[in-house]
Amino acid sequence: MLAFYRALLRLYPAAYRWEFGGEMIEVLSEARLDIRKENLVTRMLFAAREGGGLLMGAFHEHLRSITGGYDNGIFSVRRLAMKSEFRFPKATVGLMVVILAAVMLTIEKARAISLSIPHANPPVGPIHPTQDMIVHALLAILSWAIGAGAIGWGILYALRRTGVQQLSQMKPATGQRPGK
Amino acid sequence: MEVSEPVLLILLSLAGEPRHGYAILQDTERMSDGRVRLSTGTLYGALARLLDEKWIERFKGQDNSRGKQAYRLTAAGRRNLRMEVARLKHLTRVAALRVAREET
Repeated sequence: MLAFYRALLRLYPAAYRWEFGGEMIEVLSEARLDIRKENLVTRMLFAAREGGGLLMGAFHEHLRSITGGYDNGIFSVRRLAMKSEFRFPKATVGLMVVILAAVMLTIEKARAISLSIPHANPPVGPIHPTQDMIVHALLAILSWAIGAGAIGWGILYALRRTGVQQLSQMKPATGQRPGK
Repeated sequence: MEVSEPVLLILLSLAGEPRHGYAILQDTERMSDGRVRLSTGTLYGALARLLDEKWIERFKGQDNSRGKQAYRLTAAGRRNLRMEVARLKHLTRVAALRVAREET
């Protein structure tokens, strides 16, 4: 039965498992020892309660890791709050590259379609430079967004490496002052 | 932070002395006359939240192995618990008056 609870614990986020997993298994083993002398129905109710509790707990923890806090619903204003332990997933870079490639491909396709359509009237003014300007502006905005994201990520990564996010968890020294 | 009945029972359990996870489970069941039986998942969900809000803290007791972590109330947690108890006292007083008025 303990193996079943361990399997359910795997549903929790890794950080939560690391922090509370050992304790939870210890509590579950103590509770299981106490319930062993009870009848089958009580034992089954216990297993259902614990299993359900672990499932719901895992769900809530994942929801919390997405929404960024406890005191919120799905539509809370804190759902986008950045936590001190926040890290961009590695897939973000790949996703941004894919999005950029898709945008560029769409622009090229649109340009090819535009050139293939015969114009009833000859273009009056210099249209191509205007199209180029839009394309260049879009590319510039995208590059700027990617660059800003990369810089932000770099700053967060560097701050995390320095351990600055742990400063808020530091307790004041309780030792005596020198000279006292 | 909203204080649900399980959270209130956990806070009350820690009001007397620091306790480990299983001791909290047993105490909450005892306090509620067996009505509230917390699962381990619910207990640690509440403990994680209370730690996050700094209402409780980890306590380095004699038996401080990985599986035997004790918790105790912080000053903020004790203050909030007092406020919650005062709120409940007021509520039960009002409820008693209203019920008595309806009975007469």
